[in-house]
Amino acid sequence: MKKTLFLLMIATCSCSDLLEETPKGQVLGGFALQSVDGLESALVGAYKPWGSTWTSGFNTPATLAVLMGSDDLTTHKGSNKASFREFDQFSMTPLNDRMNGIWNGSYKAIQSANNILNNYETVLQKGEDAARVNQVAGEAFFIRAYSYYWLVRLWGKIPLLTKPEVTDEVLKIGLSEPKQIYDLIVSDLMKAEGLLANQKKQIGRVNKGSAKALLADVYLTMGGWPINDASSYAKAAAKANEVINERSVYGFGLVPNLKDLWNGVPSNGTPEEVFTLHFCGSCNWFTSNAIFGNASSPSEENGWDDYFTELNFFKNFPEGERKNVTFATTFKNGTLKWQDLATQHPYYKKFRLANGAADWQTSMQLSLIRYAHVLLTYAEAQARAEGTPNASAHEAVNAIRRRAGLAPLAGMTRDVFVNAVVQERAWEFAGEYTRWFDLVRLERVEAANAQKDPNELAISKPISKADYYLPIPASELTLNPNLKK
Amino acid sequence: MVTLIDKLSEKNRKVQFFSFMLFFMMISSNTIGYSIDQNNGVFASINPVKGVVKDNKGSALVGVSIVMKGSIIGTTTNAEGKFTINLPDGETPQSLVFSFVGYKSQEVAVNKSNTINVVLLEDASNLSEVVVMGYGSQQKKDITGSVSVISAKEYVLQPVNRLDQILQGRTAGVQITNNSGAPGGDVKIRIRGANSISGGNEPLYVIDGFIGADFRNLNTEDIESIQVLKDASATAIYGSRGANGVIVVTTKRGNNEKASISFTARYGISSAIKKYDLLSASDYAETVNARNVVLGLRPTFSANDVQNYRASGGTNWQDEIFRQAASKEYLIGVGSGTAKTNYYLSGNYQTQDGIVVNSGFKRYGFRANINSNITDKLSVRVIASGNRRENLNSQVNAGKNSAITQALSWAPTTPVRNALGNYTASDPTGSIFQNPSALANEVRNINSSTSANILSGLNYEIINGLTLDVSYGINFEAYQGENFTGTTASGNNQASAYRASFENTLWQNSNNLTYKKVFNQIHSFTATAVYEVQSFQSKGFATNASNLTFPALGADNLSNINDGGATASTGYYSNYGLTSFLGRINYAYNDKYLVTATVRQDASSKFKGANRSSIFPSIGLGWRISEENFIKNTNAFNNLKLRFGYGLTGNQGINPYGTFSNYNSDAYSAGTPFNSNSVTSGIILGNPGNPNLKWETTQQANLGLDVELRNGISLTMDYFIKNTSDLLLYQPVPNFAGGGTIPSNIGKMKNQGIEISLNATPVNKKDFVWETSFNFSYIKNEVVSLGSQDRIFTGSNVGSGLSTQSEFILTPGQALGSLWGVKYLGTWKPSENEAAKKFGAKAGDSRYEDVNNDGKIDGADFQIIGNGMPKTSIGWNNTFNISKSWSVNIFVQSLMNFDKLNYLYGVTVAPTADVRQATHVDIKDRYIPGTNETSNIPAFSSTDKTYLQSSRFVQRGDFVRIKNVSVNYELPKNLLKGFNVSLFGSVTNLLTITNYKGFDPESSSVTSNNDVDQGIDYGSYPNSKTYTLGISLKF
Repeated sequence: MKKTLFLLMIATCSCSDLLEETPKGQVLGGFALQSVDGLESALVGAYKPWGSTWTSGFNTPATLAVLMGSDDLTTHKGSNKASFREFDQFSMTPLNDRMNGIWNGSYKAIQSANNILNNYETVLQKGEDAARVNQVAGEAFFIRAYSYYWLVRLWGKIPLLTKPEVTDEVLKIGLSEPKQIYDLIVSDLMKAEGLLANQKKQIGRVNKGSAKALLADVYLTMGGWPINDASSYAKAAAKANEVINERSVYGFGLVPNLKDLWNGVPSNGTPEEVFTLHFCGSCNWFTSNAIFGNASSPSEENGWDDYFTELNFFKNFPEGERKNVTFATTFKNGTLKWQDLATQHPYYKKFRLANGAADWQTSMQLSLIRYAHVLLTYAEAQARAEGTPNASAHEAVNAIRRRAGLAPLAGMTRDVFVNAVVQERAWEFAGEYTRWFDLVRLERVEAANAQKDPNELAISKPISKADYYLPIPASELTLNPNLKK
Repeated sequence: MVTLIDKLSEKNRKVQFFSFMLFFMMISSNTIGYSIDQNNGVFASINPVKGVVKDNKGSALVGVSIVMKGSIIGTTTNAEGKFTINLPDGETPQSLVFSFVGYKSQEVAVNKSNTINVVLLEDASNLSEVVVMGYGSQQKKDITGSVSVISAKEYVLQPVNRLDQILQGRTAGVQITNNSGAPGGDVKIRIRGANSISGGNEPLYVIDGFIGADFRNLNTEDIESIQVLKDASATAIYGSRGANGVIVVTTKRGNNEKASISFTARYGISSAIKKYDLLSASDYAETVNARNVVLGLRPTFSANDVQNYRASGGTNWQDEIFRQAASKEYLIGVGSGTAKTNYYLSGNYQTQDGIVVNSGFKRYGFRANINSNITDKLSVRVIASGNRRENLNSQVNAGKNSAITQALSWAPTTPVRNALGNYTASDPTGSIFQNPSALANEVRNINSSTSANILSGLNYEIINGLTLDVSYGINFEAYQGENFTGTTASGNNQASAYRASFENTLWQNSNNLTYKKVFNQIHSFTATAVYEVQSFQSKGFATNASNLTFPALGADNLSNINDGGATASTGYYSNYGLTSFLGRINYAYNDKYLVTATVRQDASSKFKGANRSSIFPSIGLGWRISEENFIKNTNAFNNLKLRFGYGLTGNQGINPYGTFSNYNSDAYSAGTPFNSNSVTSGIILGNPGNPNLKWETTQQANLGLDVELRNGISLTMDYFIKNTSDLLLYQPVPNFAGGGTIPSNIGKMKNQGIEISLNATPVNKKDFVWETSFNFSYIKNEVVSLGSQDRIFTGSNVGSGLSTQSEFILTPGQALGSLWGVKYLGTWKPSENEAAKKFGAKAGDSRYEDVNNDGKIDGADFQIIGNGMPKTSIGWNNTFNISKSWSVNIFVQSLMNFDKLNYLYGVTVAPTADVRQATHVDIKDRYIPGTNETSNIPAFSSTDKTYLQSSRFVQRGDFVRIKNVSVNYELPKNLLKGFNVSLFGSVTNLLTITNYKGFDPESSSVTSNNDVDQGIDYGSYPNSKTYTLGISLKF
């Protein structure tokens, strides 16, 4: 028995190794970004927050909700659209969570980009494939710039972060002026331009031309409110002109027929896609694009009535191919006219599915910068910068008008030409996250809202410059009171 | 059947019955017989002693324990009160000790005739009862800690099938909440409230010495005794896992030489406790039209439509998803014991349908407990059980994804099926989410767990009084999760499926050295030293597939997917380890002054460096005042004892790897589509880690008084204070910094409470006995500090799409579970139009309190609008024994002082992100300008802002519930010779008295492991009313 006892005593575990955690199966901070493969994986993840369905990003009708202060968008008077109406009626509060998707998505993308940008040089020094590393860094610069571009245009003063770590300092950070944000955007895009390849790695990603096109857009915006840097129009024109001149290098161009651009089926990448997010609704609900389908359909077709055109925008829209492609005016196989719908509004055909299916888990792409943007940016910026629209500016806008089935512009003075281009942008990019930002930079929000049809939702109060920006989401403000404007 | 049985000899009858009922028990009785015979060979010769034990009324007592004094040889009486005990002839047996719960023990000398008949006298006192305390046992009178003992007597008349049902309402200080009323569903068990914010507040379960066992696998028929250890003096021995209290369960041992067999069968029918009062289809259509008219929209329904709905009645979605559900349960146990070896074998089989269609639960399991004395100093034991649990659609507390939520959201004007006979894919008027019937019937969420829990050990008496007990235990669980979503339930007309496979292994080694000695007959001394290690490992993987080619194959075929579909897989690994040293000294002076001192050192892999290990000491003092002559002389008390305990316990219940920052690499978090038919995998920064993470420590002081009067009335009172510091807390990171949470040790929390339990037998006549027990507990929880912060927000995610802010706040001075929202002041009235305008509102719109008076409602106007944590719980159990055959049990349970944020009610009366129209009849009573301006239900308006996170949807959850009424009839013994047969019937949740507007004040949409976010009801699975009939046989 003594032997048994002895054996038992030594059989009791002396297991100090039990206390070592072995986090197998987890990707931990230290080694993840030590290789170009790791960087590329992190880059894929950096795009994700822009399109994490219903959680963060641009791919839900909330993106249209926050832009409803413009004259191309409105929503249902009843139903469950109170959170959409607040933007249309200028009565939004920090409690409105429709804006959180863009806020959260942009900042998560920024954190991801910051992580790459703070590590890629170490990987370069290790002698990893420089071309691949540079492409990753270029895309990361683009991601950070584009995210900040949305944030600064929607919120104005925002926290400016360039490091990924969550420190006490970061948690208590205050707001930065728009100028500081724009400086970072411009600097990031210049770096991106230098690092990116001419060809996109995948159709849903970006190339050198995309960075230039975005930079042109940024400069155009900086020419207006609130930066009001008139000198940036010339930069916008120059940058846009580079893209136009080098379009074949980047594979950019106009799709000849508008019907092919807005046909309600997922694209495999068209030349017009300068920067487009792609989605796979059949892969999973959380990789789908919910802007299309239900959100842009009336309840009579099992849709959600989330957003549709304002009446005057529709009435003033020049007749022709583009109008037919842009708006749906009959429903239920032609048995219902828009006037017969409960909402009595036409809907955006652009954002409906080819077969009219009631679905929200769509695989439709989300076009954020089209080649058409580059052309119209050039036209406006050139005219503003040089005082007289030159032949290229005319050609740029007329290429768009020709495709729309409209007569070319000719013989206009600077201001008439500029206004015609701005109006052209409104028609061409109806519902495409452009009009509101144009109204803001040109300080025309008040004017645009003064011309509402009496049957539209009424604005709740006189509009002031304070209404050009969204309030900081209440949930962020409660966690960090230093974000108070 | 009876006559057939009568014809058989008694022995054959039993064997036949046994094999008939034991169809699922694979252990043959031959094996057992063989081992007994073999062991019998050790003893030279045997002296059998026989007899009958009865009470003073002449009834046979079943299960009386008979032990040869000074030995471990023992047996128990059978169904007729008879016993046979084989005493070794070589030794001279002095006497036998007869003991039975509720009776005074008796010592009887063995006489020459070898027949001993004994009459045991009832004893209201149970002071000599042995209580299992963890790493040893103690007589009840010697306990210094706060310990509740639950005996089978208290619940034997009720159809309980899980441990929580036994505990519910029966013990002061233990609060049980059925978060989910689904069969086999989630339950929240708390001992003395919640100490921790993120560290988990689940008590520790110790079943037959296995620490961290899964109580859901326990067959209630197997339970011999349950001890609830509540204060630090009792729980500190469990160190870093003792802070939330410990539930110690001991299962049965066979102790009667003649095998005793018991069999119970139960059949039940359940139905919903209540249903929502919803609009009829025609009323709904008229209400929708009325709203359209007010808002300047065209009507949705024509007059003709309304007429048709009035005639046809439309769809009653609640009737579509709720049903009457059947359940059945079979339990069988057999036990026997000799001086050498005892065994207890059991089996159980249970199936239970849920009251929501296509939901249910199935459980079956076996147990074998075997003890054998190899020599008079060495014994070995094996305690083994194998269990299988299968949950079908019963673990889903899914908010808007729940069929229940959708049944209350879909328009009654929308048919269940379309013209083709398929489920209607979408509701044009009401909900934008999926068809309730499709969600109920086309979603198959199956969670199954197959587990084996085996503990084997040996006990060796090294020298007189000094024993070593070594045990090894393993708990192995194979877990399979699958989820299938059919085409209509999916929302995009594509079936998808998910499967997960995990294996969890928890093993422990425990080495216990105990020394017992009484010096000079007045110093009684027990010392225990233990070294113990535990290690846990979980490994698994999961795959999901979308756009399945063969939806009919469900989650069993994930390889065939259509174009554009995708599959994604992930692997998982997690481990942690714990090593511990502990010691305890129990000392009693003259049975009067009692001291218990314990200390435990734990080292956990979850923490790093100097934070890795920590020491948890405790002291308990007891003074048995009733042993002092001045009390003894009053002759009024059986027992009067004052107890005091103080100690430290810990909590490490956070996820492993909290000290590391990591990336998320799953498709949901980081998989990005760069084209329309595939997803590229990636990584994205996850939650930041905190390398300085450490133990959470709880200091607890307890003052208790045990009073037991001579007339049998007993009272136990306890007062405690618990202070928890270094609270483990997942602190939210703002989204501008990347979002997520960071595990932290922040601040302090305090719990204090009072527990009272009272037992009495108000009527004790020959043919009518009424026994009653009442318990009351009140707990006050308070967040004392949050370090440098003044508030921390947490949210449940349950209300995603409804809530715009975190739903809960932690702030010093307030309790856990504080609901955060705006205060609803009713509707703006016509006279207040001007004031309303400032808020962009008009008369009839919702009015909220503008806390900071800045003329707008925003985050700054949020305040605490309620608290979801029940503070008072009451249980009242009554048993009436009428004549000898009838027993009636009435059990009342109550939880009080808590609020619920009723999102489900909210979505039925207010338009929300996923529902466009109201379905509840309350909408008829809305504010109508000029007609009904006193109403506080907002008018139809384009300017109204309805926040679900407002006091408008906070409702009192208090309830009193007749939890059980049961009647038991025991057939006359001579009807079936050798059999004890009882028939019983019961109703569970017979009546609920509450002002809560939802289905059930008890059910919650937040899972049981969360105490911060409690009190949200958004389509949670309600408890049901159940009628049970059953039969029980013993022979």
